[in-house]
Amino acid sequence: MPPSIHPVDLIEALRQKHLTPAIVFLTSRRACDEAMESFDHTRSFLPPVRQEAIGTVLRQVIDQYPSIAEHPLIPTVQRIGVAAHHAGHLPSWKIAVEELMRHGCLDAVFATTTLAAGVDFPARTVVITQSSIRKARDFTDLTIGEVQQVAGRAGRRGKDLVGFAIVTPSPYIDLGVITKGLTGQPEAINSQFVISYPMVLNLLKAHPLDQMQAILAKSFAQFQLNQRAEVLERKLDEIHRQLEPYGPRVCTDWISQWQLFDHVRRQRTHRTPMRRHEPPEVAARFHFLTTGRVAGLSKSRGVVLRQYRSKGQKSPMVTLLRPGGAITECPAAIVTEVFDHVLDCVEAPVYPWCTPDSIEQLLRELEELPPRLPVLPILVPKEELIPDAIVQTLGDFSCPTCPSRSACQKDHAHASKLRQEQQRHTKAIQALRTSLWHRFQEKIDALQRFGYLSPTVQLTETGEWARLIRIDHSLLITELVRAEAFSGASPALLAAVMSSIAHDDDRPGAFPRISPGLGSLLAQVRKLAESLSPFEDPPLLRADIAAITEQWIGDPTLTWIGLCKKTTMAEGDIYRLLARTLEFLSQLHGLRHTHPSLAESASQAIATLRRGVLEELP
Amino acid sequence: MTTEELERLLVEQPVELLHRLARGRVHRHFRAGKRRLIELLLRHSAENRQGFESDLLALIADRQSHPVGPAARPAVERPRAAAHGRPHPAHHEPEHHESPVALGAWLEGIGVPPPQPFVPDPWQEEALAKLQQGDVIVSVPTGSGKTYVAVEAARRAMEENRTVIYTSPLKALSNTKYTEFCRIFGAERVGILTGDRRDNAQAPLLIMTTEILRNLLYDAAGGEIDLRLDTLGLVILDESQYLADPERGVVWEETIIFCPSQARLLLLSASIGNPHDIADWLTSIRITPCYLIKHSKRTVPLRAGYLHPDGKLTPLFRTVGIPHGHPNYLHPEARRLFARYEDETMPSGRRR
Repeated sequence: MPPSIHPVDLIEALRQKHLTPAIVFLTSRRACDEAMESFDHTRSFLPPVRQEAIGTVLRQVIDQYPSIAEHPLIPTVQRIGVAAHHAGHLPSWKIAVEELMRHGCLDAVFATTTLAAGVDFPARTVVITQSSIRKARDFTDLTIGEVQQVAGRAGRRGKDLVGFAIVTPSPYIDLGVITKGLTGQPEAINSQFVISYPMVLNLLKAHPLDQMQAILAKSFAQFQLNQRAEVLERKLDEIHRQLEPYGPRVCTDWISQWQLFDHVRRQRTHRTPMRRHEPPEVAARFHFLTTGRVAGLSKSRGVVLRQYRSKGQKSPMVTLLRPGGAITECPAAIVTEVFDHVLDCVEAPVYPWCTPDSIEQLLRELEELPPRLPVLPILVPKEELIPDAIVQTLGDFSCPTCPSRSACQKDHAHASKLRQEQQRHTKAIQALRTSLWHRFQEKIDALQRFGYLSPTVQLTETGEWARLIRIDHSLLITELVRAEAFSGASPALLAAVMSSIAHDDDRPGAFPRISPGLGSLLAQVRKLAESLSPFEDPPLLRADIAAITEQWIGDPTLTWIGLCKKTTMAEGDIYRLLARTLEFLSQLHGLRHTHPSLAESASQAIATLRRGVLEELP
Repeated sequence: MTTEELERLLVEQPVELLHRLARGRVHRHFRAGKRRLIELLLRHSAENRQGFESDLLALIADRQSHPVGPAARPAVERPRAAAHGRPHPAHHEPEHHESPVALGAWLEGIGVPPPQPFVPDPWQEEALAKLQQGDVIVSVPTGSGKTYVAVEAARRAMEENRTVIYTSPLKALSNTKYTEFCRIFGAERVGILTGDRRDNAQAPLLIMTTEILRNLLYDAAGGEIDLRLDTLGLVILDESQYLADPERGVVWEETIIFCPSQARLLLLSASIGNPHDIADWLTSIRITPCYLIKHSKRTVPLRAGYLHPDGKLTPLFRTVGIPHGHPNYLHPEARRLFARYEDETMPSGRRR
């Protein structure tokens, strides 16, 4: 493990230089807790006056939030004047720490970077030990905005003349990220507009469909898309300007005309390689004019001694042995018929291409051939007879004789590149202007498919109540309600399922057992979520998380401490889970006009859920 | 080599070399000074004298063959010289002519300012004045006093018998503000709405999370008005940089789009890169123009420091304050210490 400064030494160094109170940002909750533990072995005590001051402030907070009276960290905090503050703590404990800090009772707070975005919580000094934070399972570098947010906690207005941001190296630090963050300009922010099902339903409830495009156009998303489109439009104007000298010539659209011509021209030469004057019959026959073949000429017959292609034109040629012993080189076209008869012949590499003996033999055999010989049937390929359609149109082009031909040829490469760019930009602009609307329409299609919207894009009876569910995974929840998955389910089961839908953290841990009833209900929910996955990302649906809520609601005598003992989940996380479940349940409670029994069950769950710690904060 | 010879040889070496020698031999050697380090090394050398000596000689030979170390690591044996601005070829920037700030000067001025009557900053006054004419977006560094603008704006709107809604992204923040506003305006004039609870929902100043406001606006648009939106005079959106939050940003957009036209919008945001874009956007969709109040000067000036694991504190930059736009304008001492830290923590054999 590479080193970093020991927390006790760190605080000591800060105290010496009068840099306290300080907020020390650490990588993880565990690091904060371990830093606190490391003080257990020190002998440093605060002077009694300060211990008393901490006690006074704590008593005030405990009056308001009795749940923290027994908090295990209180003695440590009072003894050393240092506290930890992170998402694993109860909100009321965090309030206590904030209150202590505000009264100047603490020397330091160990916190995670979530604090930076959270509360108004300044100090004289912030200590930065990391340059990256955990975001959705991955560590990513802090952005400039985040570094400044963190550093911004240094220096209390009216209490400090100067604030200090102190970097101390740890294994998780890249100094460049921090210095860039401290000295740079914060990043531009971008719209994160997502079109959700409840948004579509609520918008269609309030406004007719033909106003939708106008409403979407008011979003910051569209504003930023328009900005991008405008950049492209400026580029497009520039391309237009560059294209001006390439205006109409003999033909109005010479660029595409030339492109087509050029294409056809290339195509044509490609299709007829080296046999411009070779009729298809000859080409077909040529394959069969092998050594020894008897070929019919216009007046006589001959024997093929060899076949070859002429040197210059590459035209098909044959060497023939004619009756009487003449050996002639003649084009293959001279052959009128190819007979189905091959004579034996011993080939030779040089003139006369076969041994003198076999010439004698061949001549004799040629004389002896019967006057009628079977003709070799040769199939002439059809497509060769009818030339390619494109090639045929070559005659239609005026380009070869056009006066601006050379100019077109010269400019074409540049002009067509510009033209392509122009078309690409035009398409991109189109997409930028309409993408939001297309996404909106996709959602409409899905809602029509499930029957929340009528074919005329009016809210159906189902849609009327479904629009009141305005939380994540709304489609899954409304579909569950429609499938009556919760009919007869106890408030505890209902709340448990809601919390498994609400919880989106996959941190592992130990959890209580789930009841068989909850298990089968969750299986049902999981199946439905799976089937909805093309339309909505399925939630994690953790059974172990659901079990916590089930225990809390199923057993009203269970105390907060008792619940915390059943799991390794941090207090603050349990609190957040239950608070979020509460939010989901209150959305279900909103359906009391259409689904009275469900709403009743939800409100019972809410009433049981909200006890102890959960009752303290508004 | 006798022990005395070895000790003499070690004493002659720069501390950097000793640290490299100690890597893997001495636990937590980075916390030790040179004398302690030599002591520790000698104690260790008893275990494997041959290996120790050969490693030491190899390091010395290595050092002599590359007499000039990498630029990032100025000669360690002369830190004083480095601290006094010896020109350094690799990191030469025009600003480097002035000598880096000394620790004493950097630490000067810590303390509590004398209590003085609160006088609003000009930008705060300007924000409040502009709010009379249209929407306002405030983009200033954290801790500059955005809350003052929110409180004053709310007070003025309530004096005109208009309702004020204040939203924040987090329930925890809402609670803090609720307590704060109750102290300022009195509990009977402040209400809070959360997902499932309404306290004093008829109060002229309502605090809620942005999601709740969005839902209210949807309900109002759907015809089920359950809030006096017609008397709504001011909507304050705190921490509006949440507009860029991947999951929740859309809620801020919806809220701004559907905010009733007679209500003024006051967006309070930390420093962001493109506040003028947001102002332009608001101007383009709302009937009144949107004014941008923006500055990047902190009320309490900020200084950056570097604390080495051995407890040595130095300024991080060559200047007293933050040198905006010059991320490489590091204090030579901080640069040296960090390079040493990296060198020590790097797995052996791998060099930057």
